[in-house]
Amino acid sequence: MSSLRVTGLRVRHRKTLALDSLDLALGTGVHGLLGPNGAGKTSLIRVLATVARPDAGRVELLGEDTAAHRGLAGVRRRLGYLPQDFGYYPGFTVREFVAYVAWLKEMPAADVPAAVERAVARVGLADRIDAKVRTLSGGMVRRVGIAQAIVNDPAVLLLDEPTAGLDPEQRVEFRGLLRELGATATVVVSTHLVEDVAAACTEVTLLDAGRIAYRGTPQALSLLGETSGGPGDHPIERGYTAALRAHRAPGAREAV
Amino acid sequence: MRTTHGRTVRTTHGRTVRTAHGPLLYARSRALPLTLAALAGTALFAVWAAGRLDAYLDPGRRVPIVALAPLLASAVIGTSLYSASDELDRTAVRPWWPRRLGQLTALAALAAALVAPAVLGHAETFGAPAVVRNTLGCTGITAAAAVLLGARLSWLPAFAYVTAVYLGSATAHGRAAAVWAWPMQPGAQRGAWAVAVAAFAVGAVLYAVRGARPEGSRA
Repeated sequence: MSSLRVTGLRVRHRKTLALDSLDLALGTGVHGLLGPNGAGKTSLIRVLATVARPDAGRVELLGEDTAAHRGLAGVRRRLGYLPQDFGYYPGFTVREFVAYVAWLKEMPAADVPAAVERAVARVGLADRIDAKVRTLSGGMVRRVGIAQAIVNDPAVLLLDEPTAGLDPEQRVEFRGLLRELGATATVVVSTHLVEDVAAACTEVTLLDAGRIAYRGTPQALSLLGETSGGPGDHPIERGYTAALRAHRAPGAREAV
Repeated sequence: MRTTHGRTVRTTHGRTVRTAHGPLLYARSRALPLTLAALAGTALFAVWAAGRLDAYLDPGRRVPIVALAPLLASAVIGTSLYSASDELDRTAVRPWWPRRLGQLTALAALAAALVAPAVLGHAETFGAPAVVRNTLGCTGITAAAAVLLGARLSWLPAFAYVTAVYLGSATAHGRAAAVWAWPMQPGAQRGAWAVAVAAFAVGAVLYAVRGARPEGSRA
């Protein structure tokens, strides 16, 4: 069953069409969102996170239409979101920042301290929980962002470039966390790093110019790369470029 | 077990930690402690400056205090409307408008209450009512500017307007002057009150509904 469904989604940024009549349904698992810069990945994530409104189309999260105010509060309680640039309050410690987001999510006050500790421990920052966020490295700040996104054990988790700034070891650990989260939740990960998708995602959606260029499993995308002979150092990179080029070929858009 | 800054809770790991309450975290996220200190500083400065004007000779000498102290206070309030994690704040379950409206009106009321004692007496001319009126008007303009320009530059339009009126309204008289030069009018001038209250109402509603304009990569 799909916990996330968009139909005919259209989003404009000034004069640019960021998403064009997009249809998508995602269920439990880790879904990689790939695509070149400007493909519409962040626009899609922001609409799904209910921070941006679509110009047209319908967005259903956990069975609720997000355009209806009545169901929005319930959806947001069960939503986790890591924006590309999330900002933080300079005077806050890691614990305070994650607790602040838990408060935004209206978590029961009695549950917050343990939930905060658990979320921070899951991203490997337990020893820095009382450090000011401004004293942390870029990679650690990114992990704080992931911690705030999972503090409420979301049913739908939206992560925009979660591995930006993480070192290789942290990325390996993060992929493990993704797999763990994807066992019970619908996780959408927007990234440029195809190897993260290959290692952690159960499904991949490739966007190009606001449209879906490809949908399938990472294994199928790798197979496409092996058979197409496109440019790239790894099969999934070759699959990525092959799928994009096939989508951009004259006459292909109408066929998608 | 409660403390003054939050509450102490034993976690699942058996450790005892102190966590701040959500509203307290909200207040700190908007730098409200610093804002309160800055408003207190503005009030002290206004009292000090007013004491050097010999206003008992002529209440009109208080015009710089009546016009500029509320302007300074509104600038302090405007910068407190900044949200560093606007994108996350927008995913909040709770509606923002009551909190925004409460923050703005409480700070405006506090600013007026702190600055007004600098100019006690002469209520009909340049006394406490004129300070309250100007605080409302300047805060309204600043709140509207926070919505349109962002909180960090929200002080700019009110600063430009009040400075221009301060420099250009010395010889202005009549009904029209009561409207466009409202920050320089005596406290009993109804037209000036109407403009200031309208500016506050528009600014407060705009800010409560839309919040400050996002700054940074999503601006």
